[in-house]
Amino acid sequence: MIAGVKGLLTTLRWLGKRPVTAHYPEQHLPVQERYMGFPALLTDDTADEPFCTGCMVCVRECPTQCMTAVMHDNPNVAEGTSHRRKIIETFEINLNRCILCGICVDVCALDAIEMSYEHELASFGRAGARADLDILLTLGRRYMEQSAWTPKNPEKNVAGVALAKKAAADAAKAAAAAEGASKPDAGGTTEAEGEP
Amino acid sequence: MDVVWASLWLFTLLNVVAVAALSLVWLERKLLGRMQGRVGPTRVGPFGLLQPIADGIKLLMKEDIAPGSSSRVLFFVAPLLVFVPSYMVWITIPFGRDLFVRNLDLGLFFFVALSVLGIVGLVLAGWSSNSKYAILGGFRSAAQLVSYEIPIIMTILVVAMLAGSLSFRDVVLAQDVVPYAAVQPLAFGVFLLAGLAEVGRTPFDIYHAESEVVGGPFVEYSGAHWAIFFLAEYINTFMVGALGALLFLGGWRWPVGDVPAAAGVALFLFKTYAIVAVIFWVRATYPRMRIDQLMSFGWKVLIPLSFAAFVATAFQMFYGWPIWTLTILSLVILVPPIYIQLRWQRKPAMALAKHYAEIAVAVHAQPRPVPVAAVTEADAAPGREDDA
Repeated sequence: MIAGVKGLLTTLRWLGKRPVTAHYPEQHLPVQERYMGFPALLTDDTADEPFCTGCMVCVRECPTQCMTAVMHDNPNVAEGTSHRRKIIETFEINLNRCILCGICVDVCALDAIEMSYEHELASFGRAGARADLDILLTLGRRYMEQSAWTPKNPEKNVAGVALAKKAAADAAKAAAAAEGASKPDAGGTTEAEGEP
Repeated sequence: MDVVWASLWLFTLLNVVAVAALSLVWLERKLLGRMQGRVGPTRVGPFGLLQPIADGIKLLMKEDIAPGSSSRVLFFVAPLLVFVPSYMVWITIPFGRDLFVRNLDLGLFFFVALSVLGIVGLVLAGWSSNSKYAILGGFRSAAQLVSYEIPIIMTILVVAMLAGSLSFRDVVLAQDVVPYAAVQPLAFGVFLLAGLAEVGRTPFDIYHAESEVVGGPFVEYSGAHWAIFFLAEYINTFMVGALGALLFLGGWRWPVGDVPAAAGVALFLFKTYAIVAVIFWVRATYPRMRIDQLMSFGWKVLIPLSFAAFVATAFQMFYGWPIWTLTILSLVILVPPIYIQLRWQRKPAMALAKHYAEIAVAVHAQPRPVPVAAVTEADAAPGREDDA
């Protein structure tokens, strides 16, 4: 009987609370920080091109074979704005097939693919879930903004850093070469010092 | 000419009652939703106010199916047998001092007579559907409604004794200073509980319990005929609210005395909706009772309590004690059942729970025997992978 009264009070208290319902299409609940949505391709801002070189590792490792990729020569290399000799030409993920396992992200050594926060798949067409390169890059751009994404291996993968590093290395090599011309002197002096 | 006026009045009344029933549908869904942390209807119209109308249009446009093996005529007459009495009762309900279709001197008796008539419709619906669920639901409705009719009649008798009249109008006029809910709180409580069962609301909705008899007498109905059942159910709910307001809360009069008719109607409707809201509140809180719990609650608790209230009122009137003694008397009558419930009724359940807990502990304390057969088989065929 006491429990019955308590129950009545519980429902009465809930009457005063705000409903927990979220009206889905109008109101989206926030996605968790580590939520794994559909994979998306990320963009290297320093070279204004995707990180992906089309190396096919993710395509081979994908358990559901939902991806295809084609690579071609990177024109930006000739212009000197990128260090990637090959770049992705077409990339397609069938999001209906994707099981969100994240293996593609694990095997990618180029920081090119990430599990984004995207999770809404509804579309009007039969092929609506086939995400091509543009869509994947858009999703990746959104993910980078939402998560403040930073590359795991910038020295190797980010064009600006890699080129700068290479330039520094080249400069150091050149400096070393220049120094190498006067190196026998130095070596001679040490030898000379050690001889007596 | 009288016929024309009477028809006009009845038509107006029908519309008022139907609109009230539709408003209850909305109120129930909204209240239930908010009490359960949901929002209730929001899509059709502002705050979902047009939802019941949309439901009604949907139901009317649906195909009206009758099972091939049903008794066709009775199948289609049954909804009317439920609806007509629940609507006819409203003829004698006074919304205000002079606002009624017909003020019957035997109004309370009229209500009692007609409210029992609906049971025939329910049993008939169950029988004519030629379905097991429906007939079980029909039997259940007969058992439930007949047994809960008794406490309702007894509490109405209490009110009639106090007011000295069977006319709704006189009953309201007699509650000038103190409403009968304060004079006879016991009768009011019994009336509310029995009224809940009478209209088949949770926790007493066993005759159309969805999880047991699917939909009770209404399983085979669809479309417009089902809508009539639905409407009748909500009209009955509204009826319980109106009766509670008239018999126990002073209708359009208490506590303000004589006010303009519109204000009186508003007061009456407010009280009615308040009681109905309590009914929905109870629905939002409690699960359904079992049928044996329902019957034992009706026969072992409500009927004795209603008789006790009746006898207490009789004593008070016979000996001419002051009116406040009746309040005290009725509260004193409530003490033994509450004491029994709190002290004794929980004991067997607790003892049973303790007993099972001890058994569980004992079972888990025993060492688990290794299944010998499984071991030897695995040993005999080492390396077999398909065992699992």
